[in-house]
Amino acid sequence: MITLRDVCKAYGQFQVLSHCSTHVAKGEVVVVCGPSGSGKSTLIKTVNGLEPVNAGEIIIDGVSVTARGTNLSTLRARVGMVFQHFELFPHLSIIQNLMLAQVKVLKRTRPQAHKKGMALLDRVGLVAQAHKFPGQLSGGQQQRVAIARALAMDPVALLFDEPTSALDPEMINEVLDVMIELAREGMTMMVVTHEMGFARKVANRVIFMDRGEIVEDAEKNAFFDQPRSERAQQFLSKILVH
Amino acid sequence: MLNGFDLQVVINALPYLFMTGMAFTLTLTAFATLAGIAFGTLLAMMRLSRHRALAYMAAGYVNLLRSLPLVLVIFWFYFLVPYLAQWAMGASRPVRVDPFWSSVITFTLFEACYFCEIIRAGIQSLPKGQLLASQALGMHGGQSMLYVVLPQALRNMLPLMLTQTIILFQDTSLVYVLSITDFLGATAKVAQRDGRLLEMYIFAALVYFVISLLASHAARRLQRRVAIIR
Repeated sequence: MITLRDVCKAYGQFQVLSHCSTHVAKGEVVVVCGPSGSGKSTLIKTVNGLEPVNAGEIIIDGVSVTARGTNLSTLRARVGMVFQHFELFPHLSIIQNLMLAQVKVLKRTRPQAHKKGMALLDRVGLVAQAHKFPGQLSGGQQQRVAIARALAMDPVALLFDEPTSALDPEMINEVLDVMIELAREGMTMMVVTHEMGFARKVANRVIFMDRGEIVEDAEKNAFFDQPRSERAQQFLSKILVH
Repeated sequence: MLNGFDLQVVINALPYLFMTGMAFTLTLTAFATLAGIAFGTLLAMMRLSRHRALAYMAAGYVNLLRSLPLVLVIFWFYFLVPYLAQWAMGASRPVRVDPFWSSVITFTLFEACYFCEIIRAGIQSLPKGQLLASQALGMHGGQSMLYVVLPQALRNMLPLMLTQTIILFQDTSLVYVLSITDFLGATAKVAQRDGRLLEMYIFAALVYFVISLLASHAARRLQRRVAIIR
């Protein structure tokens, strides 16, 4: 479904990503973790072309992201993305947030888009908030809306960039619950997160990054039980202390 | 001159002051604001464009006009354009330009620079994540701009836009250097004719003050109505 081959990216002299390669199969959930500044957020933004790369190749569902002449807008419409800071459109109501791209990008009629939007709001438990504005919702609610907004496009895969990092602790679970349900339904997901509980529960594989490199790319249990690299061991010992 | 404040002079002049003078001032303000915002938006898009040549052209234009006094631009346009038009159209004599349209074009060209900077700042102040989110949903550049960036940016820049319009309203009085009968021009004519400078100029100041005050009050109310809920 998602293939990265030798992806490299640099800002001037600083190498953000060096020779990153991995593959996410259909229905697979892959968690990307690593210390801050390790390039994991940049990596996930390269997958749908939000961050251009200097070298390497990225292919989603048979379409090359990195080839010249690829219509990136068309491709992005098929890959959902959820951001750390939600990025709902504050000037639109919740239901309008869910309808905008359906109508403008997918050319659905407004009644179709509205129906789809309401069904998805029901799914994330927020039908009652449909006509409120993003600023009136809690962080956890906003992030659930953001997930629904991505789902409204009927994506072939979902990308999550630290979806719970900006949330108060008591709101993290309501977002993770939605993600866990999606994973169980077979959605292909690539998730940058520090939530190791989530990784243990639903991930198929874990990718560990450090200094722009993919240091480890292993089955979930292999990664948690016996990480091969010293850097991953150190990272896990710091993060799993509590 | 200071003894005997004659209110009757002002009252007699009211129809002329408002029907002729203020009508001109308000029409000029309205035309110049609308055209200035349209041209200013275009300039702002150029300045923010990826194409260097466009960005430099717009920046050069904006910086040039912002460095010139408005009165000079008014003079320049009114006296030179007839000759430019003659040269461009190959006419045998200078082309007469209607004073009203000459003023509209001058103010549009001048105010567009200020509107451009307001719009540019409004767009740049938007968090970059909003643009990324719209792109991630498959919108292309124009759609992101139209449905996500501009609706928010315009709300954010509304107070500055309205302030600039009020300044423009006051600045239109500078057309009196061309002997055009705007509100101030009309006031000056009556003042000279009747020898009542004090009454007329105090009245003119009062009218500008009241209109500007009401406009800024209305601007605040409007801003509250369209503000984004946070």
